Amino acid sequence: MLIIIDNTLTAIDHSLPSKEELHMFCQLLLTIGVDIIELSAAVYERMEYLPGKGKYYLNISSADAMTKRDLVNHPGFCGFVSRHAVSDERIIPEIQINDPREIMKLIQMRGCGELRIVGLDSLLHYSYDRIMRDIITMLPGSSIQFCPENHYNCASALAVLWLSEYGNKIISSFAGLKNNAATEEVIMTMRLSVRRKPNSNLTVMPQLSRLYEKFTGRTISCRKPILGKKIFQVEAGIHADGIMKNPATYEAYDPGWVGQKAELVIGKHSGTKAIRMKLSQMQLPMPDEDRIIMILKRVKSFSSAKKASLNDEEFVRIVRGVLADEGSKIHS
Amino acid sequence: MREVRYIVDTTLRDGEQSPGIALGPDDKVKIARLLDELGVYEIEAGIPVLSEAEEEGICRILENKKRAKISVWSRMNVDDVKRSINCRPDIIHIGTPVSYIQIYSKLRKNKSWVIKNVLECVDIAKNQGVDVTVGFEDASRADIGFILSLAKELKKVGVNVIRIADTVGILTPSRTRELIKTLVSYTDMAIELHIHNDLGMAVANSLIGALAGAKFIDCTLFGIGERTGNCNLYDFAHAADTIFDLGMSKKQIRQIEKELYDIFESIIK
Repeated sequence: MLIIIDNTLTAIDHSLPSKEELHMFCQLLLTIGVDIIELSAAVYERMEYLPGKGKYYLNISSADAMTKRDLVNHPGFCGFVSRHAVSDERIIPEIQINDPREIMKLIQMRGCGELRIVGLDSLLHYSYDRIMRDIITMLPGSSIQFCPENHYNCASALAVLWLSEYGNKIISSFAGLKNNAATEEVIMTMRLSVRRKPNSNLTVMPQLSRLYEKFTGRTISCRKPILGKKIFQVEAGIHADGIMKNPATYEAYDPGWVGQKAELVIGKHSGTKAIRMKLSQMQLPMPDEDRIIMILKRVKSFSSAKKASLNDEEFVRIVRGVLADEGSKIHS
Repeated sequence: MREVRYIVDTTLRDGEQSPGIALGPDDKVKIARLLDELGVYEIEAGIPVLSEAEEEGICRILENKKRAKISVWSRMNVDDVKRSINCRPDIIHIGTPVSYIQIYSKLRKNKSWVIKNVLECVDIAKNQGVDVTVGFEDASRADIGFILSLAKELKKVGVNVIRIADTVGILTPSRTRELIKTLVSYTDMAIELHIHNDLGMAVANSLIGALAGAKFIDCTLFGIGERTGNCNLYDFAHAADTIFDLGMSKKQIRQIEKELYDIFESIIK
């Protein structure tokens, strides 16, 4: 079984949201297919209690030794994680390995029932296949959680590689907040490639994005994979035509899966088919072929002058202009 | 010594297909000049059939180019190829659908039709003395048997580079490695890799592809492109420049991004 552990809620101690919002965020993470949610002690305190559903880890790295002893006695958590070496078998130790040539350090962790490896950003620069296998061989009998970091923009790919071929547990965070793999990217990739949890409900992504933006004060880029608000816009003629005939032609997955829909944008790259489709979508009168071509010419010229795509008002103005010009020619 | 990998910059073609942007000829000429100075191996300058203004921009880029090869993108269509030849580019890149969904569902044709048409297009361009590369569109969802047989036919008519396009951005790292290794093993053609970022893996997959033997990597400035974009040039250089000689430095890329920020600002926020 492939396990995805999300640690977004260990990175927001500086701006703790309300108890209700935190409970909602957890519920939504479980809805999209996260298996275990990791909390910081501060977030747990703000939440007051653990939600009835789901599995939770408590990250106790920042607590002092005395507090750690108290925390690990807390009921409800299925695991406790600490960066610092603690001789308590209930705690999952976390070890940072930045350079793949340092993996020999892992020998000292032999015998751990479960451990977490963080880092290895540059794994793809080396023989990543051999190194991942060496890690497994070096720690016989251990359950390994892999948390690749994102210095080279490869963390989600490394997490997916690990889940696909080597191990079965990865750590990620929503939108890659913790400079690790992005939870939503790993979930979607595993769904498309090995049908992991094909029935999980991803339509709540926009809700998760809104809460994430509120918690962190960050704005998710409109082009961010899975989450971006403009990722399903299409303008190029060849692609608009393809999507019209069969959406699967140019989309990796149905936009409806992630609570969005395809949007046709008109501009320099549009073709006559896109113009017809837009006219139909906007319930405008459908002119003959000559006028469609004329509309297209004006669209391209306007878009080139504006150096951008057209908004709906601009498109309507061009359509009305063409229809009016042609009307006056007929009557003159 | 680091192995060489060649950057094919498609900011002016696939990048410009990002909804929300329409570059004018002056912008295109400026961007191409900076990419040329940067050391990009090939600049995909646009699609001549798109409009007269597009054609004008491409012709001006060709007049001003210094080191980079200038290519234009063409559909697998005789008229489009002829229009492309008018620009006298260094390379015509012919986009050829290879997945069954593209061939049977979008084009409503069959594999024989694809082979016949692409060979005819290649022949027309080659007879006019223009070099050709062929792009296998939607290769990530295609039958590897068809890809290999098409590559074999193209090799016979003098095509030496095929572009593997992950058109919908669904390649995983394992699939990328497997696909490129297969192509390197079973064809004697140079492989160009064109990855989209729909699953957030464009940089990693491009790097894995380069490690598996792809010689040419397609990138765009700021990672712009349709939907979630293409492989980001700076990010790729950041990930790859300790392993490969890309002919440019990260610092130089940052510098031209700075110079061009105003042009792309509206779509990279």
